[in-house]
Amino acid sequence: MNRSLLILLAATAGGVALAGCGSPAAEYRRYETFAHKAAQDAGIEKLKASQLSEVDDLLAAFYGTPDEPAIPAVEDADIASVLSLPLLQMAAGPVGSDEQGRPRGLYREHCAHCHGITGDGNGPTAAFLNPYPRDYRPGKFKFKSTPVGGKPTHADLKKVLLEGVAGTAMPSFKLLTDIEVEALTQYVIYLSLRGETERELIRMQAELDLDSEPNARLVNIVTENATDEERQLQQEQMAAVKEKIATVVNKWTGAMDASVEIPPRPEMTPEELVESRKLGRTLFYGSIANCVKCHGDSALGDGQLTDYDDWTKEFIGEGKDPEVVAQYVALGLPEPRNIRPRNLRMGIYRGGMRPIDIYWRIRNGIEGTPMPAATMKPDGDPNAKGLTPDDIWHIVNYIESLPYESISNPNDAAERALERMRM
Amino acid sequence: MSQREIQRQSPWPHRLAVLLALVTFPLIWVGGLVTTYDAGMAVPDWPGTYGYNLFAYPWTTWVAGPWDLFIEHGHRLLGATAGLVAIALVIVTFLTEKRTVIRFAAAGALVLVVVQGALGGARVLLDARLVAMIHGCLGPAFFAYLAALIAATSCRPPSSERTAAPVSTLGPLARTAWILAALACGQLILGAVLRHIPYGATPQVFRIALVFHLVVAAAVVLQVGWTAVQAWPVGRQFRGLRSPSLALLALVALQIVLGLATYVAKYSWPAWFGDYQFAAAYVVEERSLHQALVTTAHVAGGSLILFTAVTLAMRSSLAAVSGESRAPSAHSQPASPFSALLWKRRTAL
Repeated sequence: MNRSLLILLAATAGGVALAGCGSPAAEYRRYETFAHKAAQDAGIEKLKASQLSEVDDLLAAFYGTPDEPAIPAVEDADIASVLSLPLLQMAAGPVGSDEQGRPRGLYREHCAHCHGITGDGNGPTAAFLNPYPRDYRPGKFKFKSTPVGGKPTHADLKKVLLEGVAGTAMPSFKLLTDIEVEALTQYVIYLSLRGETERELIRMQAELDLDSEPNARLVNIVTENATDEERQLQQEQMAAVKEKIATVVNKWTGAMDASVEIPPRPEMTPEELVESRKLGRTLFYGSIANCVKCHGDSALGDGQLTDYDDWTKEFIGEGKDPEVVAQYVALGLPEPRNIRPRNLRMGIYRGGMRPIDIYWRIRNGIEGTPMPAATMKPDGDPNAKGLTPDDIWHIVNYIESLPYESISNPNDAAERALERMRM
Repeated sequence: MSQREIQRQSPWPHRLAVLLALVTFPLIWVGGLVTTYDAGMAVPDWPGTYGYNLFAYPWTTWVAGPWDLFIEHGHRLLGATAGLVAIALVIVTFLTEKRTVIRFAAAGALVLVVVQGALGGARVLLDARLVAMIHGCLGPAFFAYLAALIAATSCRPPSSERTAAPVSTLGPLARTAWILAALACGQLILGAVLRHIPYGATPQVFRIALVFHLVVAAAVVLQVGWTAVQAWPVGRQFRGLRSPSLALLALVALQIVLGLATYVAKYSWPAWFGDYQFAAAYVVEERSLHQALVTTAHVAGGSLILFTAVTLAMRSSLAAVSGESRAPSAHSQPASPFSALLWKRRTAL
């Protein structure tokens, strides 16, 4: 019995020891790669630790923490139109739910293992995934209805969450409730806003002239004994920071109704559709759309295989210097991988399978990738180079026919398609 | 212990040990589901449930409540049931069993259940993934412990009826099976690391854990093959050795399929399958039933492999002890360190 007593005592001691093993509070990861790049761009070796700490403090003041998010209080932006605090709180924090099944910590439950707590696309599983999970911080998203350079609409982001991205680790969340998907969508926007703000603040830090004023800060700390002039200066500095945040927020609020309007797909008879596909094929191989350059002669996605996405090129540039690559990889950049154009003969399109989705990809390009936006013909100038909306529909029609086109004898594809339609 | 003494011993400790294992296996399944659905914090208090005593929580609220609450509270109820069976096992063993080692083993089962329950409570009260991981590892370890207890309390230990015991062949089999059990245990720990990886961990941590998980999986496959090769001829003379080795072959094959399916269900097909239409068109469905079942089945399969490996190891060790005690002059040294322990205990009785 003495031995049993000893075992019980040991178990109790183990339990007491484990009482100190609570999870540490989750923390955002610093944007080390961008801090390095900003310093290089500014011609300095690196930012001081105190500068980066100030960025951390400002971000915490405006955006809160992973457990307690906050909506930045800026006057010149209608942030309430894109973010709601109760929904952010539902998505943030540790995972759990209450007796009624109301969830909390949705982001950590469903997203953080790939996208990371910070939304830097560098969660624990990221290295194994291809393509890498999206880094929200630059505020660039691939599949959207808005032009290149613009933010996605709320509906664009929600569509990706609901439908997932075929052939990748990005799942469909259609089994979650509407409110849960909405909370996650807003949390993605929140992390993106925070990341873009971090970039702006780091850039501002890099531009400070520390040679003439070694203790310069973005926002000075004022003591109780500060003069009116010092207080005034601090208020101006804070206003400058808020202006940067407002600029970032306004890009998002402005995008909510910035979808590119698309003329309806023309109604066509089977014969007209065959003609349309022929026209689309001509445009596909022509010099204006020039799809063949990247998607290849056979549209197998083998036209170019050596390019990178913008998330990578921003840091390693075009030179692909191994030393530079190693430097940024050490700072957290995922090992660079070449981006591969879509194999159009499979009939699987990551941005969506509807004709309108294909139209948007051609019309707007794919943000952050070598897929450019179409050059559109200016209104009222029939001789100008460029595509018309009808041209894009022709290309869409051709692309939709590619999975059925014979690679060895593509010329008879249109006729065979017509036969199929008549059957 | 002679055959007659074995036949005289009460069957109840063995029966209760089997019952405890039968309760524990679904408990592992439900525990796996709790992790799969990240439902560990669906009940924020412990040992009660939303202020109620565990057993007094209104069953209608539980059954008709949210899914996360259903599986978390169900996990606790099953855990409590395992605790009650373990208490019964200890009482019955102390009343009917004379062998000290078996008495201690039964008490050890109860201690493990208590520690596991405390770990579950600590996981909730501290909301700590590290504790959840330890909790997730101890479950299968306890299941394996029960495999050993079941074999040790069995009234029909594996023995040779036809020929003089070829103990020399049992020793290597026992060693191989114990090594397999150790590998399976390590594999479960690596699996737990993958499932409970901290959100803030770097990709390198996951990469290392996953690569080791694959390497140890290959080692387990080889070891299972080697175990089967060794068990087949020995099983001709000793009953109860072939069946677990065959079960291991089947379980490992199933486990490999489940492991690959788990990866696909969670992260889609690897990129090198991208040229195949089925892979390019595949969309992962978060929280889908098949995702949850496949992942949890992989977890439960690992536990079952460990259980079966320990069963085989114990049976071959016990058979070796049995053979040694009957023919001490022929084999003055025990066949393996494990049988040495049992040999000492049995000869001391």
